[in-house]
Amino acid sequence: MLEDELRVSTRVIGNIAVIDLVGDVTTFAEAKINAAYQEMSQNGAQQILLNFRQNDYINSAGIAILIGIVTEVTRNDQKLAFSGLSPHFQKIFRMVGLSQYAKIYQDEQEALTDLQDAATA
Amino acid sequence: MSDDTKRSKPSEKMIELRLPSKLGYERVAMDAAASLASRMGFETDRVSALKTAVSEAVTNAIEHGNQHDEAMKVVVLLTVRGDELIVSVTDQGHKTIDEAYVSRVPQISEAMKRDDKGGWGIWLIQELMDEVEFTTAPSGGNQVRMVIHLER
Repeated sequence: MLEDELRVSTRVIGNIAVIDLVGDVTTFAEAKINAAYQEMSQNGAQQILLNFRQNDYINSAGIAILIGIVTEVTRNDQKLAFSGLSPHFQKIFRMVGLSQYAKIYQDEQEALTDLQDAATA
Repeated sequence: MSDDTKRSKPSEKMIELRLPSKLGYERVAMDAAASLASRMGFETDRVSALKTAVSEAVTNAIEHGNQHDEAMKVVVLLTVRGDELIVSVTDQGHKTIDEAYVSRVPQISEAMKRDDKGGWGIWLIQELMDEVEFTTAPSGGNQVRMVIHLER
């Protein structure tokens, strides 16, 4: 009842691997998020968008999982971006420093447009 | 009339929650605090900040203070006093909070080098709340007292 599961799904749009996260990003989310990232990486993804759905609960354990993804992305010379975060979590991500490693977009459309433009520029 | 009610001033309203030390129950404290803060007139961004701070404090109490022992309780006391909301979170003190964590400013570049990339909770609480105090409760447990002020 209180361990709401995160739903994670993946899709590819152009040259961007999108990982959709619907639900809470807490310690219970680790295996699913890491598996989605590994799957996209093994398929050769160079640009990855973590698309949140205005999730209302991302805690420090969730932030630690995302720092793990940022670490892998940096190591593998990939590009990571975030979209769909509420204003509160955009602020938290900036405070923690995640925005130094991954650009934060308001929504998926803004992210896809900018990332595709950057790739073709 | 309970002792607490006798002690509290007429202008104070108190709500006490006793939660099992199981991850997920921090949500109950978070939702109760958010509901109270919204009714007091706090803006959405301040309510969000409070939710994060309360969830981190209760999660710390469950994971560290009470070491996930479900029989041990985390006591959350919400006190409305005038234009401020005071939240105290007390565990049963299996393990005390490391002083170094309270004064530390975590760096993401350092976290990226470690296997354990956590350790952001206490810092987030301090950044998001107007006043924060870490003490030892008379019972011997860890106590975090957080205050958020209503700005009019």
